[in-house]
Amino acid sequence: MNDPSIVLNTLTKAYGDRVVVDNVNFSVAAGTIFGYLGPNGSGKTTTIKMLCGLVRPTSGDAHVAGFDVETQANQVRRAIGYMAQGFSLYGDLTVDENLEFYGRAYGMSASAREARKRHVVETVGIGEYMQYLSANLSGGWQRRLALACALLHDPTVVFLDEPTAGIDPVARRDLWDLLFVLASAGKTFFVTTHYMDEAERCSSLAYIYQGHILASGSPDEICSMPDITPVDTVRYGIATDDVMETFRQTHNLQYLRDATIFGRDIHVVVDRRIAAAQLARDVGVDASRVEPIRPSLEDAFVALTRKADAA
Amino acid sequence: MSELFDFSGMGAVVYKELRQILRSPFTLALAIGVPLLQLLLLGYAINTTVEHVPCAVYNEDRGPAAQAFIDGLAGSRTFDVVMNVSNRRDLIGAIVAGKVRAAFDIPQNFTADLLAGRDPAVGAFVDGSDSAIAQVAYGSAITLSGIPLRNLTAATVTPFEVRPVVLFNPAMRSANFFVPGLIGLVLQNITIMLTALAIVGERERGTLDQLLVTPIGTAGLMLGKLIPYVLVAALQFTAVLLGLRFVFGVPIAGNIVLLAVLSLSFLMVSLGLGLLISTIAQTQIQAQLMAIFILLPSVLVSGAVFERSLMPLPMQIFGYVIPLTYYIEILRGIVIRGAGVAQLWPSILPMLGYGVLIFVMASIRFARSTRG
Repeated sequence: MNDPSIVLNTLTKAYGDRVVVDNVNFSVAAGTIFGYLGPNGSGKTTTIKMLCGLVRPTSGDAHVAGFDVETQANQVRRAIGYMAQGFSLYGDLTVDENLEFYGRAYGMSASAREARKRHVVETVGIGEYMQYLSANLSGGWQRRLALACALLHDPTVVFLDEPTAGIDPVARRDLWDLLFVLASAGKTFFVTTHYMDEAERCSSLAYIYQGHILASGSPDEICSMPDITPVDTVRYGIATDDVMETFRQTHNLQYLRDATIFGRDIHVVVDRRIAAAQLARDVGVDASRVEPIRPSLEDAFVALTRKADAA
Repeated sequence: MSELFDFSGMGAVVYKELRQILRSPFTLALAIGVPLLQLLLLGYAINTTVEHVPCAVYNEDRGPAAQAFIDGLAGSRTFDVVMNVSNRRDLIGAIVAGKVRAAFDIPQNFTADLLAGRDPAVGAFVDGSDSAIAQVAYGSAITLSGIPLRNLTAATVTPFEVRPVVLFNPAMRSANFFVPGLIGLVLQNITIMLTALAIVGERERGTLDQLLVTPIGTAGLMLGKLIPYVLVAALQFTAVLLGLRFVFGVPIAGNIVLLAVLSLSFLMVSLGLGLLISTIAQTQIQAQLMAIFILLPSVLVSGAVFERSLMPLPMQIFGYVIPLTYYIEILRGIVIRGAGVAQLWPSILPMLGYGVLIFVMASIRFARSTRG
């Protein structure tokens, strides 16, 4: 159960001189939800495409469900499900026809198709829309249909490239609840996302930036990395009524290391000798509104990205 | 290489494509109707045969020979008698007014003179505005007034017997030459367009990656894309063949089964050419431009419109690069000359060879382009 389901070993992809994915190493345990994060253009989709056999690695190798992605591409295809970015099904086919097509594509017999179709339709709850043209479904239902198609042949590993991009919060929540149910049944999910709340829910994460993995591990492990909050510093959250004014104030502080706005709060990293009370006084807010905080994942990624940019 | 000839998943792709084709019946109707419409439009437009020239007749004789002459006119494809006038001024007036393009004046005592062997002259007036019409009308007028009526005199037993079909339709061959060529052309155009968007369309809609993670093989995808359109193309072929036979009245001299089999082979070659374009183009616009790039020269060099033996040598050689050239040879051979495999194999073999070559190239090209 805990054998790694996906293993990347010095996986690299270059297009000419441009290295898109650079020497990436990590592994994903079976039956977990793995979050793959990074800004747009950082190499997320290219990594997924290499793992799915859509893009040939320049060097290094990767195994998915125990099969080498290059030399055992056929076995990999049967073992994985893939949900591409955006709507990637046939809008001019009905929900039922889309499922039927993928069932046939995997060479399933008529009876197997019927049984599996019934199963995935029940899993994602799309039964009442079977005869709808998939182009006419809402974004949330289109994603569910895509998931149903990806699950139809009962893959052990499922790749989801930004599955929740552009869908409403309720549909987003529902989709994630579904992923947890499926993961607990033993499937491994490799998910890319820009949403930090989704990242928090992953069993483990990797953060890729400009082709390099800057961090990997569980959300807790990543947040407590020394790079995020260096040993001689401390992190405070400042609640304020005038975010912009307070943010300006923080930049006058001699001991400031970093400041980032999070909604109505400002997260700062300062010299560890600075007490909350002094910080509150210096930026002109009530002492009760400054308290030490554990870095959030977003803090972590911002810190990692700034550090990488500075290097 | 083994992956290239992996036919798995072909049935799934056929299923999907058929469903998609049937989803929009209007597109399907267009796909089948357009070649027929093009054939009708071009077939009439390109026809060098001058037919149904409206003419006026002034019959001063009213004898049986005059009537035979008028029946001959009316029965010919060249002339339609649209007016009978009662004096010569009206006859010329009809031409000046543009109501008719030709006018015939049958003199008094025409029948009597003819039977007496005195070679009477029929006055024929031809509107010279359109030189093509004028030439043919002029020629036909001479034919009409001369040969048939001499035959009439010779065969005095049945003075009314005129044989306009044989003698008045020397231009029938024009349709026989052009229409089969046009059939090849319109079928090629529509079939290339049908598949030119097949792969690049999936690429643009973002569905291609989703396809490629399935175990569908390269050959399975290519053939799966092709087969449903072969069915569409077979319907197109049936439509234009019916047009050839019943609208243009071109008899099919050879074996119709052979014609159907070879036509279907050509349609697959042409669909394959579209598929090849589809694997090369990065966008649908590119695909359409490439298709046009192939289509236009093939109009000129394939022999569809212009007789190839009259072309300069480089153009003749260029023609051999285009599969349509062979198909048009086959079409004309079967339809006009009633040729069989024994005579046509020099065209059949290269056409089939092209088909295989194009299909393999499309598969290789596809396999390369999709695994970067």
